Amino acid sequence: MARINPGFTKELKSFGAFDVNACYNCGNCTAVCSLSDEDNSFPRKMVRLSVLGLDGELKTSLEPWLCYYCGECSTTCPRQAEPGELMMSLRRWLTAQYDWTGLSGLLYRSLTAVITAFLLLAAGVIWFASVQNFNPESLLHTGHYFEMLAIACVFAFILLPNIIRMWLLTVYSRHKKIPVKRYFSSLGELFVHMFTQKRTLGCDDSKTRWIEHLILVISYLALLFTTVFLDWFGTDNGFIIALGYIESAAIFVVTILFVAARLKKSTEVSKHSHPSDWMFVVWLSLMGLTAFVVRLFIDLNMLENNIWIYIVHLIILVQWALIIVPFGKWTHFLYRSFAMWFLKVVE
Amino acid sequence: MSEHKKILEYDVLVVGGGIAGGECALNLANLGFRVLLVEKDLTIGGKMIMLSKVFPTLDCSACITTPKVSEIARHPNITIFTGSEAKKVTKLAEHNFEAVVVKQPRYVNVEDCTGCQLCEEACPVSVTDQYQYGLVGRKAAYIPFSIASPRAAAIDIENCTLCGACERVCPTNCIDFTQTEEEYLVKVRSVVVATGFNLFDPLKIPRYGYGKFKNVITSMQMERQLAPTRPFNTILRPGDGKMPDNIAYVLCTGSRDKSVGNPICSQVCCMYSIKQAQLLMGALPMADVTIYYLHIRAFGKGFNEFYAQAQGMGVEFVKGKIGKITEKDNGNLILRYEDIEEGKVKEAEHDMVVLSVGLLANPEISSSFTNQKLELDPFNFVQQTDMLANPAKTSIDGVFVAGTASAPMDIPDSILSGGAASAQTISYLKQAMEK
Repeated sequence: MARINPGFTKELKSFGAFDVNACYNCGNCTAVCSLSDEDNSFPRKMVRLSVLGLDGELKTSLEPWLCYYCGECSTTCPRQAEPGELMMSLRRWLTAQYDWTGLSGLLYRSLTAVITAFLLLAAGVIWFASVQNFNPESLLHTGHYFEMLAIACVFAFILLPNIIRMWLLTVYSRHKKIPVKRYFSSLGELFVHMFTQKRTLGCDDSKTRWIEHLILVISYLALLFTTVFLDWFGTDNGFIIALGYIESAAIFVVTILFVAARLKKSTEVSKHSHPSDWMFVVWLSLMGLTAFVVRLFIDLNMLENNIWIYIVHLIILVQWALIIVPFGKWTHFLYRSFAMWFLKVVE
Repeated sequence: MSEHKKILEYDVLVVGGGIAGGECALNLANLGFRVLLVEKDLTIGGKMIMLSKVFPTLDCSACITTPKVSEIARHPNITIFTGSEAKKVTKLAEHNFEAVVVKQPRYVNVEDCTGCQLCEEACPVSVTDQYQYGLVGRKAAYIPFSIASPRAAAIDIENCTLCGACERVCPTNCIDFTQTEEEYLVKVRSVVVATGFNLFDPLKIPRYGYGKFKNVITSMQMERQLAPTRPFNTILRPGDGKMPDNIAYVLCTGSRDKSVGNPICSQVCCMYSIKQAQLLMGALPMADVTIYYLHIRAFGKGFNEFYAQAQGMGVEFVKGKIGKITEKDNGNLILRYEDIEEGKVKEAEHDMVVLSVGLLANPEISSSFTNQKLELDPFNFVQQTDMLANPAKTSIDGVFVAGTASAPMDIPDSILSGGAASAQTISYLKQAMEK
């Protein structure tokens, strides 16, 4: 028997949704969507489940992750019910559902909580730096170790359990008996979608968005690898240094384009910006910028006298690694690709 | 502007010569009031005279309109100005209005024209016929359509090459290229606004491909193909002239759609589509007709039975709004929609698609009122300031509204509305007489 949550649309609104009750079920959104097909029908089905308050059903749905938000459904919706933004809000809501700590939900819904957390982390970094007497060498050293530790811990204690929860909800709760072999045979799907986001190409809007996004993902992952494993800030290898410059510059340029689009609200996807969207793109941009500047200062031998720039970079890095990556928009990188894998598994 | 305006005096100025304005003028004239009926078009009869049959009785539309139009045209108390517009309407005092009426030159003396069509034959210029909604062509010297009133020629001066061929063949010498714009100052005691509606332009929904895919037509184009005075004498798809055998109707094209700025229901599309579907079943007995709808609104007397009748005749009804239309190489069309009853995305192939276009306001007249404001409602129809008790009353005392100028409505309601406007106009005029 279905359980109805009468307050669900209100709850969803706190994640950014619009007036989903405006929907009169014409199905235009589903019909114009180039990613929707016979087996995976959305967004109207998701709108319907939301209006009815069937959150149990939504919690086990993979459909929100199948939408790559071209915004065609919102532009053509005869009721201006913003189905595209509903799908986006459902992704935020699902992120909160998967998260065992509950912090995701809190941070998505309360800007005050986010700002407080950011300020606390900034204060922590400054305090830590003062304890280290603002010694550049030891700061760079701990910064490097912090990165490795943060990645390991966030993955082991937050992201991995959350993905297991996602699997329990979307796969295990519905299909109890799936041979393990199926998981392996369709594993390719996970990596293909994780590193190419090729599904975006199915959207009717231009290829530019996909290319920009792809450059961003690749540069981000590469910069992560370069700083963590190739020790970009500590190396003397000219090739690695140049590589880091290119990657951080690419991140900065692409995110600036995204910020500009969100400011201009030029496309449907950039029209509605939730604080989490701003946070994600601005912090990524600042990461690229500050990393670039820090390495530049090292190369110009200016870091010794300008250690503040590294502290700024470290603050941004800490906020990124401890808030945005485990609890914020960063997780869509994982959930989207896992959703594609799970979909292949249950097919 | 001409120096010496001709001054005319009437009791009532009726703006718009469609079925509502015509009905109103006729009622007023029958009770002895002198009426000036101003029509922008070259003929009176409005949109109704263009239609095939009417729902839910399937009576011939022209057979109802033409006798009425002749009665209006021949009534001694009614003066008709076609090709004319009321430009400046000023309320000087109660029961005292002044209007500037501008009459465009027709380049034909209507009194002398016999409608022999020799000028049409002689004219070398062919252009698209707006009265057949672009289905066929016409000449630059032309009679609007066979049952037009007045049935007289007109020269389309914008496309005319001034070759003089029509002038040479005209047996009554009624073609006169020296005509110019005329301006009249009309003094009246009351005004009725019956300016009708505009059809929604489906070019505003590019994903339906109208204008790009030749076999996507509007419901008005289908109406012309079904009418007794139809251009092809059968139903043909414009792309290649083939007889269609699988026709789709896309309801709510430009109605109930905020994304195109018209959130309200047009009131008639469901029913006229059901009517056309039934007529198509008669005209093309082998054809399949599918109507894609959001909700069928069959609310009037006999409407639901009419809907049931269409279902009984085998018209397919599918719940779901068409998302987009694509064209195949053979001119057939693929319609993508979500079947709401099954909750699945589907694609269907049809060889002809009719877009059931909605009714939009025609608010132009409101800018003609000079010293008092003719208020419009949020959808740009003339505001009925006392809709329940005085349906024809507007924001200006002495100015009344009739027909679809006030809201989308069907033919019986338009005629009722014209009647109501005439009654309220008379009671307004009687107040002046008693004073």
